[in-house]
Order: sequence, then C-alpha cells, then structure tokens
Amino acid sequence: MRNLILILLTICLISCNQEINWTKTKSIDLGKVTPIGLTYANGNIWLADGDHNQIVEMNLEGVVQKVYEGFERPMHIDSQEDAVYIPEYGTDNISILKDGQKSVMEIQDSLDAPAGVAIYKNERAIADFYNHRILYFNGTKWMSFGEEGKARGEFYYPTDVQITKDKIYVADAYNNRAQVFDKNGTAELVIGNTDKLNAATGIYVSSKQMFLTDFENNRVLVYDLKGKLTQTIEGDFEKPTDILMIDKQIYISCYKSKELVVYSNQN
Amino acid sequence: MKYSIIMILAFSLFGITLNSNAQNSNKDNFEVKVDGLGCPFCAYGLEKKFKELKGIKDVKIEMETGIMNFTFPTDKGLSIEKVESQVEEAGYTPVSVVITRGNGKTETSEREVLEEVAEEAIVESAFFVAGNCGMCKARIEKAAKDVSGVLDANWNKETKDLIVSFDGSKVSQEEIENAVAKSGHDTNIATADDDIYDKLPGCCQYR
Repeated sequence: MRNLILILLTICLISCNQEINWTKTKSIDLGKVTPIGLTYANGNIWLADGDHNQIVEMNLEGVVQKVYEGFERPMHIDSQEDAVYIPEYGTDNISILKDGQKSVMEIQDSLDAPAGVAIYKNERAIADFYNHRILYFNGTKWMSFGEEGKARGEFYYPTDVQITKDKIYVADAYNNRAQVFDKNGTAELVIGNTDKLNAATGIYVSSKQMFLTDFENNRVLVYDLKGKLTQTIEGDFEKPTDILMIDKQIYISCYKSKELVVYSNQN
Repeated sequence: MKYSIIMILAFSLFGITLNSNAQNSNKDNFEVKVDGLGCPFCAYGLEKKFKELKGIKDVKIEMETGIMNFTFPTDKGLSIEKVESQVEEAGYTPVSVVITRGNGKTETSEREVLEEVAEEAIVESAFFVAGNCGMCKARIEKAAKDVSGVLDANWNKETKDLIVSFDGSKVSQEEIENAVAKSGHDTNIATADDDIYDKLPGCCQYR
C-alpha cells in the first residue's frame, strides 16, 4: 500500500511539473535566403536576408509573397500592425517598411551597427552592437543603458532585444548569455551563463518561456521566465539566428542551413 | 576591439594617402578571397568598418563565396602584402588577392610551392588551440601553414585540437605553437599577447 502511494505521488509530481515540450513538425527550405531576423505582420512571416540585403515576405507555408531590396545588412527585425522595423547594420539606421514604402525612424543618438530592434506599444529598443549598449525609448524619452564588459548589466556585442510588459530582454551575444532588465535599465537577471552557449544571437520571449539561439553550437535553449533551462532544442539545423512564435508553433531561422525549422508543443 | 581595428586600418591607409598626389581619377580593383566568414555579425561589421576607411570605395563582400571586392586610388599603389596585412588586421583570413591596376595590369598573390619532404622526416601531432568559430579555424590553420616546414593543419572547433603534419627536420611543434599564438590563439605552452587578442572579432574572443 505504501509503495502504491509512493508511485502515485511520483506520477502526480511528474505530471504536475511537466514542462512545455517542443517537437519538430517541419522545415521550410528558404532557397538562397540567409535569414538573420524574423517577424510576423499582415498574416505573413518576414525575414531579414542579411547576405543579400533584402527583406523577404512569405506566407506560413514558405511561399514567397514579395521581396524588398535595398537594405544594407538587415538584422533582427520587429513589427507593429502593418509596419516592419528593420535595423540596417550597414547604414546605422532603423528603417520602417510600410505599404512598400521605406522611411527612417528618428533617433536622437548615433548608432554603430544596430543589430536588433524591438517594438512594444509606444516603446522602442535597439541593440547597438558596436556601442555595446541598448537604446530604449519609454514612450516619452530615449535612454541608454549598458557598456562594454562582462559584468552583470554590461554587454559584449548585443544582437537582439525584446520588450515585454515590464521587462527588456537582451541577447548579449558574445557574453554568451541573455540579460533581463527593468524599464529603468537595471539588470535583474542573467540567463544562460552556465549553459556553455557560443554566441547567443537571437532572443524571443513568450508569456511563459524565453528562447535563446546558440548560434555556433546549433541549438536553441528554452528557459522559463525565472531563467531555469527547461529544454534544449537540437536538430540538423545549422547556425540558428532568431525565433518567432505564431499560434503555438515556434519558427527558428537558420542562417547556414537556410531554412525555417518549425516546432510545436504537445502540452 | 572595434576601435583598435579602425585605428590600425585608418593609420595604415592614411599613411599611404599622405604620400600620394591629389590625382584619384584612376582606381585599382581589388578582389580578395577570404576564409572563415561563418559569423555574419562579425563579417558584416568588418565590411562596415572597411567602408568607413578613407580612400576605399565600393566595398562588397559575398558571404557565400568569401570574395571581397573594393577599389582604391591607383596613385596610392596599394600592394598585395599591404592588403593581406590589412585584411588580417580586420579579422579576416586572406586566401588570395588579385589586383587589377588602373592601367589594366593584373597582380596575383603567389601560391607557396611545397618542397618534397622525406617520409621519415614527417611528424604528425595534435595540440590544444583556443578558439570558437569558423573565423578562428581559418586564422589558426593559416598561422600554422604559414610556418615553413608545415605541410598541413586542421583545427577542430569541437575538440579544440589542431592536427598538424610537418617536416621535423625543419620545424618543431613548439615553433608552430608560438606562431599560432601570435595570431591571437592560446595553446597550452604559448599565450597570445593581449593587444593581438583584443583585435580579434567578437565571435573569436574566447577568454
């Protein structure tokens, strides 16, 4: 009887602690497109094709809808409604692509190789790669936080950023970790620093999880929002750069294998 | 690191510029094949830094082929050796350089001709070399192969081992390790100088 209770208790504990588990469902061949960044707008996926200086709009099945040329090394993009925000690494601008027309975001500061942009309501954040900092607009004014270094709150080539309701998440690429900040720029959490990442280049945060690409090791690490590693996604993909979640599926862009790998969760 | 690269490139190229006349209507075309462009974040950044240098125009890097093209005023007489040196300073590893001068003449970097080596003199060994990525691999292997007497070199990113074969009558493993360290990569017996290490692209910094 005692053993039976123990077994039932164990089963209960296992099921209660069951994590969201992602399993591969398909891969979308991107042909020659070398994706760096991903976003979702107008019912389509948008990819920043860094090597070919273009933005590619495709439907969820991977059929290209339109190609927008004339962007210098577009990186980790974001979107809001029908506008796509594009950090151009080569021109130090954040471009806005809307209705096929390109404009430039006004920033009262100078960037040096913007590698990522994030949009949340009327807030903006930019990963300023060579300046080792994040520029953040809180809806009223711009501020900057971080400097070159390896300590908590410092950066070594940040490549991606995401704003949530009360946090700012940064892919601190060559410190091989993610960092979480409050909206005053105070570092609250370091994630992944013990997980042997090699170039943490892309970040995506959902309501329950944080995804971090491990570029050189061909992995995507999945954490809960407290920073606990819950899953390591590995497959035959090469050089993952970014992650995007659409309808309970995650899309992983892979620079070297030139594909979008799609995972879904069974829970 | 960024500013070190910019300063070195800028000073070197400004030096060439200062000794020249004001004529700059003719341009030399440069085609440099580089190795190890695995990391777009660093490769795009280095391309950007090249573009910011005075005199260099029309910089374009094809990531798939590893071919970098740019133009430079003919009257500056930029040499193959200088180009290779600048490309290395910027973190790339040059494989070949072809210059088409303004007058149509072409110059090509010479390939090293390997001498015949007696079989009994060939030594094969493996040793640890610190590094991270494809750009590291290209740099480490070139540093080893540039040592006279080294026949082959292959660095494994996962194990960090550099497997070398060399003419033991001409060169020792210690000399090869010292040469590799001078490229910015530590071995178990040789440590790269900090100033060289600091010039490595972000993706290559392992300390």
